[in-house]
Amino acid sequence: MIEDDSPSLGRLEIRLGYVLVTGVIASAVLLAAGLGLWLWGSHMTEAAWLLNAGLIVLMATPILRVIVSFGEYVVMRQWFFVGVTVIVLLELTVTVLVALSRRG
Amino acid sequence: MTVTPSIVAIVMASGAIAGCLGALLGLGGGVFLVPFLNAWFGLDFKTAAAISLVTVIATSSAVSAGTAGRNLINLRLGMLLEVASAAGGVAAGITVARLSDITLERGFAVVAALIAILMLTRLERRNVIVGGRIDPGPLGGRFHDEESGGEVAYRVRRLPVALGVSFLAGNVSAAFGIGGGILKVPVLTAWCGVPMRVSAATSSLMIGVTAVASVPIQYANGYINPPLAAAAVLGVLVGSRGGLWFGARARAKWLKLLMAIVLILVSIIYLRRTL
Repeated sequence: MIEDDSPSLGRLEIRLGYVLVTGVIASAVLLAAGLGLWLWGSHMTEAAWLLNAGLIVLMATPILRVIVSFGEYVVMRQWFFVGVTVIVLLELTVTVLVALSRRG
Repeated sequence: MTVTPSIVAIVMASGAIAGCLGALLGLGGGVFLVPFLNAWFGLDFKTAAAISLVTVIATSSAVSAGTAGRNLINLRLGMLLEVASAAGGVAAGITVARLSDITLERGFAVVAALIAILMLTRLERRNVIVGGRIDPGPLGGRFHDEESGGEVAYRVRRLPVALGVSFLAGNVSAAFGIGGGILKVPVLTAWCGVPMRVSAATSSLMIGVTAVASVPIQYANGYINPPLAAAAVLGVLVGSRGGLWFGARARAKWLKLLMAIVLILVSIIYLRRTL
């Protein structure tokens, strides 16, 4: 049983690696552009927008990683880990809701 | 404080150093960045911790993207422990606004000292079973160990301990702006039978989700200065590349010893500040 599902876990690990590297590059580009504009001293509205977008992409990346894991565990029919992933997603939802309520 | 280009440059450089050391040790790097931004640079503790926590997310994603595919990350164990660490992160993320900076600084000193002691007393322990013949069970795993050159299999023992320390690490992470790996890695290694490199790789993946369980709340609370956070993140990303390159060439015992020395230094700095 263990031997059988380790290749699919290995595939999931590689797939999650792609999610993470894409998220990191996207947020780094946004943050670098925003910081560059901000240091330049003009276009402050655009700078603030890029900086905040970069931070949001950065925060969204681990959440996306959990969502992708959820999908993979459903495909693998590992219901225990589907349940575990759902609990983690619910916890992150609580955080985002608390943050939105404080901001609003 | 007014954020000037030179402040941005200093924060970026300190992020690079913290990221390098963090990747080397399987930590978020926050254990170096928080004291630097707070004790040395003069940002208030909550701001320093929140900026550091943003860099923890970046380190987690960057380091895990680099380790993915080597079977070092235990995805199932990581996700299961994230239930506890994210719960801790949410709880502390909500309550941290009510704590004073001096309380948080004292806590930081105590946490760093406890972990340093834990590491030093367990420096010689190894729980790697070479041979790969044992059944790793549903949560264990096997991987190719570069140090011994053989396949290593391990079982996860004392799961409640691992869950408990993950919940604690989640609280500590959100309150002190560190990854929480400095708590999880020693416990997973010393008591739960998880090899050092697997603990470090799994913890590196976990700390991103742990940090995200509280960073949005701190962002909404206004503790995160976007230009400084961007500078720190970009510095950490460059630094963690260097640390990852180094880490593949370092020995487990050397890593443990370095980790303990760094924690003792951080603890002394904070004890002197608050006593």
